[in-house]
Amino acid sequence: MSPQNALHDPVFRAYFVIVLVSLAVGGAVLAFVRFILKKETASMFKTYWSWILMAGIGLVVVFLGRIPTIAGVTLLAIYGFKEFARASGLYRDWWMTGAVYAGIVTVGVASLVSHPRGEEPGSGWYGFFVAVPVFAIALILLIPILRNRARGELQRMSLAIVGFIYMGWMFGHLGFLANARNAYGFVCFIIFATAVTDVAAFTFGKIFGRHPLRSEISPNKTWEGALGAFGVAMILPWLLRFSFPFFGPRDLILTGLIVGIGGQLGDLSISVIKRDIGTKDMAATIPGHGGILDRIDSLIYAAPLFMHMAGYYHPLK
Amino acid sequence: MKKWRYDSARDLDQAPIDRLRQFPREPDMLVYGLRSICALIIRGLLRIYNRFDIVGHENLRTNRSLVIVANHCSHLDTLCLLAALPLRKLHCAFPAAASDYFFQSVPRLWAAAVLVNALPFGRHSRTRASLTTCSDLLANPGTILIIFPEGTRSTTGEINDFKSGIGALVAGRDISVVPCFIDGTFRAWPKGRRVPTPRKIRLIVGDPRNYRGRQTDKIDICAIAAELREAVSELRQTNGSH
Repeated sequence: MSPQNALHDPVFRAYFVIVLVSLAVGGAVLAFVRFILKKETASMFKTYWSWILMAGIGLVVVFLGRIPTIAGVTLLAIYGFKEFARASGLYRDWWMTGAVYAGIVTVGVASLVSHPRGEEPGSGWYGFFVAVPVFAIALILLIPILRNRARGELQRMSLAIVGFIYMGWMFGHLGFLANARNAYGFVCFIIFATAVTDVAAFTFGKIFGRHPLRSEISPNKTWEGALGAFGVAMILPWLLRFSFPFFGPRDLILTGLIVGIGGQLGDLSISVIKRDIGTKDMAATIPGHGGILDRIDSLIYAAPLFMHMAGYYHPLK
Repeated sequence: MKKWRYDSARDLDQAPIDRLRQFPREPDMLVYGLRSICALIIRGLLRIYNRFDIVGHENLRTNRSLVIVANHCSHLDTLCLLAALPLRKLHCAFPAAASDYFFQSVPRLWAAAVLVNALPFGRHSRTRASLTTCSDLLANPGTILIIFPEGTRSTTGEINDFKSGIGALVAGRDISVVPCFIDGTFRAWPKGRRVPTPRKIRLIVGDPRNYRGRQTDKIDICAIAAELREAVSELRQTNGSH
């Protein structure tokens, strides 16, 4: 991945057009609802402007190449963890948050460097990347021992480990995908597909929603929205087949399942955390979306599952 | 199993800009880290670019609360005073900054809140509330308040009259007040100039004073303000300003 490659890469160029067209279609639909149906859409427009901004930043970062993509994912992970730490109160414990930040940066470094003895093709040190949790958790477990304290430490350690695994490592797979031979296809597809699935869940839920999906976790999600999103997610890999021409029907179905089910599970698992803490959004960073974490939550599940599925059936690098 | 008690940040529902605007701010490790790194860079730049040096350094070495009072002709003044403090004191040092100037536009807000940890001070309205915030802060031992009692940057390089608010803050309380004179910032970066020039800057730290025995009435408050101004101009004369 590099700016020169991106300019000549048909997949990246196709996604550039697809994103622009999707945003235009979304804007047209919103305008229709606003001016023809005369519905109240102020909050939806706020969400829409944020989508435009995020799409722009995302396209520029992927265009700039592998290192900016990995750095961008690492920054998002750091910021996502920061929101989690602020919501859960862990941010008051500097040793724990510091250890998690160190772990997240290590995930980024493992995605950036190559295998030191050249035993892996291409860039990115896969063996270390999948082993980072061992070291990060070892560091987190070490902290109470170093400061000779036990009271309340289990809660802090648990929050730190969950934070690192969710926001640092699982989400970090998105950055590692930038090392793939088919980086543009994988990275663009997984981001675009989870975003479209989220919008589909919202839209189907808004129009047809009757039956609550998980009333104790997220009162606004409905079975209708989830099934609609699942349907969209199953179709997307076939429509966007050019992103991974070497995928057969089995791989395409698995991809659909991962995006359709995994994406929504990621969403719900962050909702569990929010619900237990007792906050509606993790933060108010993105107008109309909530926190960074509320935006990237579907990728927390979808990105690692997709990467390991693709890596199991086809050489990743 | 008993329920875990989460202790969320109080400003979760606020947008990042509003979080910067509020005071006191929630402590944040990333912000503290960034501030410390920037402070080191600023210290280095001041030493090299402006040949910054400090006289009477030891007057700032204390673990008690302090009010630093200085003349004001440039944005560099705040940076110089912060550079004179030990690095570990950086996050409990609060320069009072005009809320109508520093807490409106986003770049200034960011610089004020993140880089210098400024305290929004109402010059034209809410002055009394701002003074209360200041005296609440001083109740925590180890707080350092940086105040420019002239209320604005001097456009001539001379020391203007001190506002009486500084007197109200310290009268009758056991708090050390350290008068300082900053020499050279008017030539290095006066009001209205875009970039600083490499002129020599010197910070003279005076002996700490205490106004514990004074009354809090109007006459004494104004007298304290005048005495402090006198102390700052004395520092200027004794150290041979040019």
